[in-house]
Amino acid sequence: MSSDWTPIALSRDVPDGVTRAVCLEGSELVIWRGAGEAHVWEDRCPHRGMRLSLGFVRDGALNCLYHGWQYGASSSCVRIPAHPDLTVPPTIKANAYPTCEAGGLIWVGKEGAGALPALPATTTPVLSLAVATDGIEAQGLMRDLDGGRLHVFWHRVRPGKVMLHGVIEGSADVSRVAALMRQIRTQYEEGVAA
Amino acid sequence: MPKLYDYVLSGSCYKVRLMTALLGVTYETQAIDFYPGREHKSPAMLALNPLGQLPVFEDYGLVLRDAQAILCHLANRHDPAGTWLPRDQRFGQVMMWLGFAGGELMAVSAARMVSMLGYPGDLEALRAKGRMAMRVIEDHLSDRQLAGGIWAVGDTPTIADIALFPYVMLSHDAGIGHEDYPAINLWQRQVRRLPGFVGMPGIPDYF
Amino acid sequence: MSLTTDQAALDQWYVLGAVSHFPFGTPVETGLLGEPVTVTRRDDGVTVIGAGRSLPVRTTYNHVWTSFGTPARDIFALPEATEPDRRWLYCGGVRVAASGLRLIENFLDLAHFPYVHTDILGSEEKPEVAKYEVEQRRDVDEIWATKCEFFQPKAAAASDGGQISQYMYRVVSPFNVMLYKTPPTAPNRWDVIALFVQPVDETHSIAHPFMLVIDPTSTDAEIIAFQQMIFLQDKIVLENQRPALLPLQPGRETPTRADLSSVLYRRWLKEKALTFGTEPRTDGVAAGA
Repeated sequence: MSSDWTPIALSRDVPDGVTRAVCLEGSELVIWRGAGEAHVWEDRCPHRGMRLSLGFVRDGALNCLYHGWQYGASSSCVRIPAHPDLTVPPTIKANAYPTCEAGGLIWVGKEGAGALPALPATTTPVLSLAVATDGIEAQGLMRDLDGGRLHVFWHRVRPGKVMLHGVIEGSADVSRVAALMRQIRTQYEEGVAA
Repeated sequence: MPKLYDYVLSGSCYKVRLMTALLGVTYETQAIDFYPGREHKSPAMLALNPLGQLPVFEDYGLVLRDAQAILCHLANRHDPAGTWLPRDQRFGQVMMWLGFAGGELMAVSAARMVSMLGYPGDLEALRAKGRMAMRVIEDHLSDRQLAGGIWAVGDTPTIADIALFPYVMLSHDAGIGHEDYPAINLWQRQVRRLPGFVGMPGIPDYF
Repeated sequence: MSLTTDQAALDQWYVLGAVSHFPFGTPVETGLLGEPVTVTRRDDGVTVIGAGRSLPVRTTYNHVWTSFGTPARDIFALPEATEPDRRWLYCGGVRVAASGLRLIENFLDLAHFPYVHTDILGSEEKPEVAKYEVEQRRDVDEIWATKCEFFQPKAAAASDGGQISQYMYRVVSPFNVMLYKTPPTAPNRWDVIALFVQPVDETHSIAHPFMLVIDPTSTDAEIIAFQQMIFLQDKIVLENQRPALLPLQPGRETPTRADLSSVLYRRWLKEKALTFGTEPRTDGVAAGA
């Protein structure tokens, strides 16, 4: 499986107008969605370093909570409220990362990342679940279910902690699969996972 | 007019300020110098609440303590439609979450007092308890969302949501971020969208 | 954690709290510049022990001040402290997980009022920061920002409507700052609101807000509640700035004209070669160069 791309959230958990803070290998990222499109940026406003995940989405743009600096989908700053008449220089930009959505997941890519791994065409999201462990055996771990299959993706938050992202291919009772994912969490946290 | 003995930084007082705002109940407040003045331990305040805690709420000649009890009172006396404290099978579940909000979740409050105001206490132990409480809420809310819901109990907001919201949101003051809690992230936005919603310091107005 | 070797940081006066907040006879453990310190208040005065020795102590403006080094100047002059009708209010120490320098810089900032202190110190309808003046007063070694104006829906505890507030800011040392602001009840005088920052270590600080105000109507609890509300609204910003240390290297952050006071403050810190609480530079420029 290509390591150019890392799944960091379920698409369902970042609907339009929402910001979400994610930590990946110790780096802080913000995911936000405006006008239908998901974006993954460094969680830091270039002005004063404020985490943009505490900001707010308005008119398809992300606004920093500290001073209301507004960033469009291209990650360029388009408005500085303290200077309403200023045309903002294009050099003022948030740090955006390659982003894509597939298989019900939001993925962040390395610069120049290749193709995404093959994924089920249609999926049903289950849960993202924080687990106190260093990692699980495979990206895309599968568990067969009655009528479907659970795919468990994950990203490492920092040493000792991962976030699992579960999606179902086919059909299954999501509430039972959610319970299964929490059993997996318990197994890893108690060190008894196979 | 009802009267709230209030401390601006208290998440428990905020439960009362938020519920009164959502119900449109007008009331007067008396600011209590909880920190640094410890006015909640003054003879005048101990006469109102021998436990020496805030909030204290006066209404209909009653002197009430305990944020959860005050939420029940507000719903009982000021919400004739009964949506905030439903009397059907949801009642027991609402009570269960009220108990949790005044019980396990208060570890977040205790961790916040240590971390922010320098109160004595084992910060790491309190944080660990706070994270366990946050996980219980996250698991519950993610199940609710998988079932097509959003609120803690049933299809409408109840005092259970109002009791849980303050210390879930103030957990960052205790050093507990929300990165682990996607379901909480979606739920808290719905709470903030309720008509009449008011915030408090540490819960920004924009989201 | 151990005492910093940054001489510019050592040679300053620091507040450890209001004198009245220390109990008689019971030693209180706290921290300063990476080193534990113990404050003891007795009938005959206050002692501070740190790094295995007795440190110099002042109780100027009813606060406990100390230093590990040899400050070049005495504690700053505050003429308003002699005015009889002023109320002295000690708002209590609040711990913040951030560099103390970040706290000072935020205190100097007008542009965040509409977003962080919404409908109190600012309004989103009027976010513009008008031009103001900054200067470094070399005779007293202070930074001043003057002719600051901002529309404020509720400027103080005693406000009953919006006003255009006039502000002056005064940085008296790297970790101590105050503002002068027109009170709602006495438009031709200045309220004094100070922020004394106790840098416990490079990324943990205790903020000690102190007010010398003209307000004949509000209770102490109301004035303290107002100030704590404002400061706790800032705390969520301060703890979420990255890095937690203040960057002095050009290009790490993006100042605009509204940030003139911050630009001068950072230049002044560089001139002092102060590094405690600043982000290590990667451009090969040494502190003070």
